[in-house]
Amino acid sequence: MHIPDAFLPLPQAALYWVIACIFIIFALRWSRSEMSEENIPLIAVLAAGIFAIQAFNLPIGMGTSGHLIGGALAAIVLGSPYAGIFVLTIVLIIQGIIFGDGGITSMGANIINMGVIGGFVGYYGYIGLKKITNQIYLSAGIAAWAACFIAALACALELAVAGTFPLIPGMVAMGVYHAVIGVIEGVITAGALYLIIQARPDMVPEKVKSIIKKDNNM
Amino acid sequence: MEDTVTQNPMSITLFVIAGLIIAFIIGSGAVFFASDNPDGLESAALFVQNAKELFGQSPEDGDPEAIGTGTFEFKAPIPDYTLERGEGVDVLIALFGISLTFIVVFGLARGLHRKS
Repeated sequence: MHIPDAFLPLPQAALYWVIACIFIIFALRWSRSEMSEENIPLIAVLAAGIFAIQAFNLPIGMGTSGHLIGGALAAIVLGSPYAGIFVLTIVLIIQGIIFGDGGITSMGANIINMGVIGGFVGYYGYIGLKKITNQIYLSAGIAAWAACFIAALACALELAVAGTFPLIPGMVAMGVYHAVIGVIEGVITAGALYLIIQARPDMVPEKVKSIIKKDNNM
Repeated sequence: MEDTVTQNPMSITLFVIAGLIIAFIIGSGAVFFASDNPDGLESAALFVQNAKELFGQSPEDGDPEAIGTGTFEFKAPIPDYTLERGEGVDVLIALFGISLTFIVVFGLARGLHRKS
């Protein structure tokens, strides 16, 4: 879902950069207030893992491939949508500048789609679903799917405004492909959350890993 | 009543090593096993320029960026994660990217934490 430079006119790309920078400032504030010596290694390993998985395109049929985005994963594991923005911003900067994966001018839009939308939909989707289902991993999987799907629709909308994609065909194609890619996002997010909770439960915030136990005596 | 998943934590060093090994395996695997098909955005771009059917296969010579309206161009030093010098070099590039991401995030996070 990395938008290349060719897909956005410069004025619109600049506007997305401005919006992205506002969220990056909030993400930096989050990092200064919430990061600790204990969770810094988790954040770094998570970013390295997201970089690796984003490079691994899995076939999804329809002549298309897909990979994890990771904004939802980082936000859920670290307990804040701003964590998703923090991690994805750095990953996207490295990918864009060194590997040409996603554009430079369009990087603001990519940060909005994968970091901001991925982080917010992933985190608040997870918290909401966990309250309803009382299932940690199911909630994480569904929230990550939704984060991927909604980010794809936002991307299609941005490209329609840019005049690159026609609105309806663009939304349909992005929606169909990312509805399937989202399944990969959901499975990997749930799996990674499970592994991290098993390995270092103390690194995952209480609000993320806590579940409500039903009391049969009531 | 709140209940929490609890396990004996593995050491932080082991956690980092295990995480990086998993990332290295995934990154190396991508060199050999990643699909050559375009990703979701590229496939959508091919579809809207009538170069592929929605559920059909993608053309081998399709150019997703042909539809672009942007004018800015940037040449990355290692475009598409390859220098086209063989799979061994591509594996090293993947390991470089993973390591660089880890170091940058770790260093930045440490710096921000110390400042706070």
